[in-house]
Amino acid sequence: MSKVYVITSGKGGVGKTTTTANLGVGLAMRGKKVVLVDTDTGLRNLDLLLGLENRIMYDLIDVAEGRVPYKKALVRHKKYETLFLLPTSQVKDKTSVNPEQLVKLCEDLRKEFDYILIDCPAGIEQGFKTAIAAADTAIVVTMPEISAVRDADKIIGELSRAEKEDIKLIVNRIRPQMVESGDMLDMNDINDILSIDCIGQVPDDEMVVTSTNKGEPCITMEHSLAGQAYRNIVGRICGEDIPFMEFPKEGFFQRLKRRVFGA
Amino acid sequence: MHDEIVKIKGGRKGLQLSFAEGASFDDIWKHIEQKLESGSGFFLRGTLVLVPRERFLKEELARLQKLFHEHGLICRTMGAEDAAAAEGKPAAPAAKKQKTASPAARKKDPQVQEMVVVNRTLRGGQEIRTASSVLVCGNVNPGAQIIAGGSIDIRGTCRGLVHAGASGDTDSFIIADHLMPTQIRIANLIARSPDHMEMTERAERASIKDGQIVIEPIER
Repeated sequence: MSKVYVITSGKGGVGKTTTTANLGVGLAMRGKKVVLVDTDTGLRNLDLLLGLENRIMYDLIDVAEGRVPYKKALVRHKKYETLFLLPTSQVKDKTSVNPEQLVKLCEDLRKEFDYILIDCPAGIEQGFKTAIAAADTAIVVTMPEISAVRDADKIIGELSRAEKEDIKLIVNRIRPQMVESGDMLDMNDINDILSIDCIGQVPDDEMVVTSTNKGEPCITMEHSLAGQAYRNIVGRICGEDIPFMEFPKEGFFQRLKRRVFGA
Repeated sequence: MHDEIVKIKGGRKGLQLSFAEGASFDDIWKHIEQKLESGSGFFLRGTLVLVPRERFLKEELARLQKLFHEHGLICRTMGAEDAAAAEGKPAAPAAKKQKTASPAARKKDPQVQEMVVVNRTLRGGQEIRTASSVLVCGNVNPGAQIIAGGSIDIRGTCRGLVHAGASGDTDSFIIADHLMPTQIRIANLIARSPDHMEMTERAERASIKDGQIVIEPIER
């Protein structure tokens, strides 16, 4: 049984594309057949995060308009044999694909793949409506920040209006120290408002930035906290029961250092 | 026979018109015009006239509405289920969405006011706008709005904007398990939340007292 996920958030910059790339690689590491579909036409990034930009031949628009079969547009990952990317066009805009075309495409992809992850553009306009059309499950990514939570709330409302009832939450870029000192929303505050099933809490991690630049998602990095969090999410998606990880508390020396040298 | 083309019946809501089966629109039109011109006691200015929706085409309905309007009458169209209600008979409950909840209850007892029941959490950007009262079984999140002609009862946390008595009813009130809205409006009064909101422990009720919005804890 293949499943179609859409990764969405409403607000930009919370980590939809990073999450898509990491989950894709994580699922592929487990040997699943995965295809990542970038629907952020005109602002495509997913290929960069996977380091596949120079291998793109055809794109989503070509497939949607029937110029090439989807197999020709798929880009296989360098390292993970079962991971494919269906990139979108950088020159067209969001009106170039409509929901029916994407639904049709996903029907075809279902025959071939275990997991289809759709990277949704920011916003609630045409691009969003197209991206969610084919999804069985929506993963809403948010950050512990009022505006991101507010937008996530709006997105959840829009998703239920589109009769997408299976909605999961990932809270990204948590800074444990700030949460502890009360300067950042904590999970209770977020759950209070959003009240949907949370499948991941990802800490803010500098390695995400370096891994993005290198085109290799941080889930492959053994020592990355964010990578560990993403591995846990992949496990939960595969049906395992994994408790949320405890973030390491700030040690005495770090605190002293911060006192002495400033934040 | 001539009289049977247009039948007028006084109902609880207003005048209900029904028409002979085979009568053409032109005949009906002439007949109504005649009645209106004659100034018979039936058609007082401001009276509500109900016309069955299914009977006419759209253009014809529009023409009829205009005619009634010219004579100072208010013309509404109604579906079959409304027709039964207007006669005070319990109609078969229509399979409507929950949003316009319990139309059946209203039809059975004219004393019972209509209430909109919202059986989910209202999220940012969602809006309930109604002339009746509202019951929300869920939260009202920031960015959501409820604008009700009557009162508002929230079984959950209220963080959005709530307006009770929107058409001027100063007796309406707002109740929530945790009342921490961005704004409360009752009739023509507005109260804003303090800049630092604390989670309240008890259910609270907002109403108008001495020309001010007052919030007090209640038991429930």
